[in-house]
Amino acid sequence: MQYLSQKVAKPYFVAAIGLFAGQILFGLIMGIQYLVGDFLFPAIPFNVARMVHTNLLIVWLLFGFMGASYYLVPEEAERELESPLLAKILFWVFLIAGALTVVGYLAVPYASLAKLTGNDVLPTMGREFLEQPTITKVGIVVVALGFLYNVGLTILKGRKTVINLVLLTGLAGLAVLFLFSFYNPDNLVLDKFYWWWVVHLWVEGVWELILGSILAFVLIKVTGVDREIIEKWLYVIIAMALITGIIGTGHHYFWIGTPEYWQWLGSVFSAMEPLPFFAMTVFAFNMVNRRRREHPNQAATLWALGTSVMAFLGAGVWGFLHTLAPVNYYTHGTQITAAHGHMAFYGAYVMIVLTIISYAMPMLRGQTAANSRRSQVLEMWSFWLMTVSMVFITLFLTGAGILQVYLQRYSAQPLPFMVVQEQISLFYWLRLIAGLVFTIGLGAYIASFFVGRTEPEAVAMKSVPVTA
Amino acid sequence: MSRFPAERRPDADGRRLAVRAQALYLANLLILPGLAFAALLWLRRRRAGVPLLAQAHLDAALHASLWALALLPGVAGLLVLVAGLRAPATWMTLILWVVSMHTALVLWGLLALAAALAGRLPPPPWRGRISG
Repeated sequence: MQYLSQKVAKPYFVAAIGLFAGQILFGLIMGIQYLVGDFLFPAIPFNVARMVHTNLLIVWLLFGFMGASYYLVPEEAERELESPLLAKILFWVFLIAGALTVVGYLAVPYASLAKLTGNDVLPTMGREFLEQPTITKVGIVVVALGFLYNVGLTILKGRKTVINLVLLTGLAGLAVLFLFSFYNPDNLVLDKFYWWWVVHLWVEGVWELILGSILAFVLIKVTGVDREIIEKWLYVIIAMALITGIIGTGHHYFWIGTPEYWQWLGSVFSAMEPLPFFAMTVFAFNMVNRRRREHPNQAATLWALGTSVMAFLGAGVWGFLHTLAPVNYYTHGTQITAAHGHMAFYGAYVMIVLTIISYAMPMLRGQTAANSRRSQVLEMWSFWLMTVSMVFITLFLTGAGILQVYLQRYSAQPLPFMVVQEQISLFYWLRLIAGLVFTIGLGAYIASFFVGRTEPEAVAMKSVPVTA
Repeated sequence: MSRFPAERRPDADGRRLAVRAQALYLANLLILPGLAFAALLWLRRRRAGVPLLAQAHLDAALHASLWALALLPGVAGLLVLVAGLRAPATWMTLILWVVSMHTALVLWGLLALAAALAGRLPPPPWRGRISG
C-alpha cells in the first residue's frame, strides 16, 4: 500500500461483505416463499423481503464503490486522500442510516414508516428500489456530496489519470442522477419516465464507468501492461457504454404510455448495449494474455476476468434476449427479467466489487501483495461456486420465464398468473438449490479471509517473456 | 491459453490475419451469418502460405463455425422435428439451448479474438493445426 489514507477503504469493504451476506439471506427467504407462500409470514412478508434484498444490494454495492474509490484514488492521484477523517465519519453515517432503514422495513409496516419519517412533507417513497424513507434519501445525498468532495479534491489536487477521471465522472453521475429520486410527479407516466433516470441510467450508464475504471486499475496492477494501452481500451468501452446506454433507456418506455417512437429508439440502441461488454471481455483477456508479470494474487486476476465474462453474459446477452420491443411485448415483467437482473448485477457489479476487494484487502491487512496460497485457493473455490450457481440460477429463471410467457401470454387459452406460478414451481425448486450452493460459495469467500493467516504469502511476481 | 512456440513468434501479418479470422467467426455468429462464413472460407483459401499463427486461427475459426452450424440450426431443427412446435416444452428447451449454445460459441470467439490480438494460439477446444 503506497498511501496511508488508503486504509479508510477497509471498513467500507468489511461493511460491503456483511451487507452482501444479509442480501443473500433475504434472497433465500424469498426463494422459499416462492414455494411455501406463508413461510415466515407475517413476520417477513414477501414484499418486505424483496425490498430488503434489493435495497441491501444497492447499499452494499455503494459501500464497495466508495471503498474502491478510497483505495484507488490516492494511488492514481499520487497523494494522500484529502480528508481520511471525513471518509471515516461518512462511513458511520451511511452504515447507521442504512441499518436503521432496514430495521424500519422489518419492524414497522411500510405505510407507518412513511408516516413516521415525514414522507407527506416530501413524498418520495413507495417506488421499486427507491423505497427508502425520504430522510434516508437526504442522508444518501449528504454522504454522496461529502464523498465526492473528498475524492474530487484528491483527484483535482493530484495526478489526473484517465482512470481516476472516468471514475470521478461515474461517481458524479451517480450522485446527480440520484436526485431524480426526489421527483415524484402525480402523473404515473412521468413518474415512471424519470424513475428510470435513476434506475437505468445508474446501472446501464454511470455505473459502467465506475466498473470500467476499477477493472482498468486492477488490470494495470496485476498484468503490468502499459497504462496507455489500458486507457485507450477504457475510452472505447465507456464511449460505447454511454452512446448505447443513454438512449437505450428507451427499452423501459415501450409500455408505460410514452410515444411509440421509443419502441424504435429503445430497440435499436439497447440492441447495441452488449457492445461495451463485448469489448470489455476482449480487453480483459487481451491484457492478461499480454501480461508482463505474474502477480501473486491469482484470485484477483480470476475475479477480474470473471467480471468481464459474467458482465457480458448477464448484462449483454441476457439483456439483449428481451430488449427488442416485439419480444419485450411478451416478456416484460416475467421471470426472464429476473434472470437478466440476477446475472447482470452479479456479473457486472458484485464481481467488480469482489475484484477490488480481492486485490486490495491483502494490502489493507498488512500483506505485501497477496494472501497465502491456501487462502487464495479457498477464495477461488468461492469464485467458482458463486459464479456457476449464478449461471444455474439464471438458466432456471430463464426456463421458468419462457414457460410463464407461453402459458400466461402466448397460448390460445392463457392461464391466470398464480396458476402459472404453480406450473413452473419445479424451476423455483431448482433455483432454490442453486441459491443454497451460492450461499455456500459466499461462506467460503468469507472464510477465505480467516484461513492461512499464519502461512507465508503466495510467491512474489516474476517477469514473463512478452510475445510479439 | 498457451503461448506460441518461441521459435515461431508470429509477425504482424500473422497476427492481423488471425484477428481477421476470429472477427469473421464472430461476425458469422452475430451480424452476418453465411456472408461472414463465406468470407472466412475465402480468407482461408491460401492457408498453406500464411504465417503459422494465422494458420492455427483460420483452422480454429473454421472448425468452430462448422460446430456452430451443427449445434445451432442442426440440433434446433432436429428438436423441432422430433418434438413439434406446439408443445411449450419444445419452446422452452429450444430457446434455452439456442441461447446457451450461441452464448458459449460467442464467448469462445471473444477469447480466441483476445488470443489473436496477443499473438497466441486459440483457446480449447478448437486449437487449430500448425503445419509447415
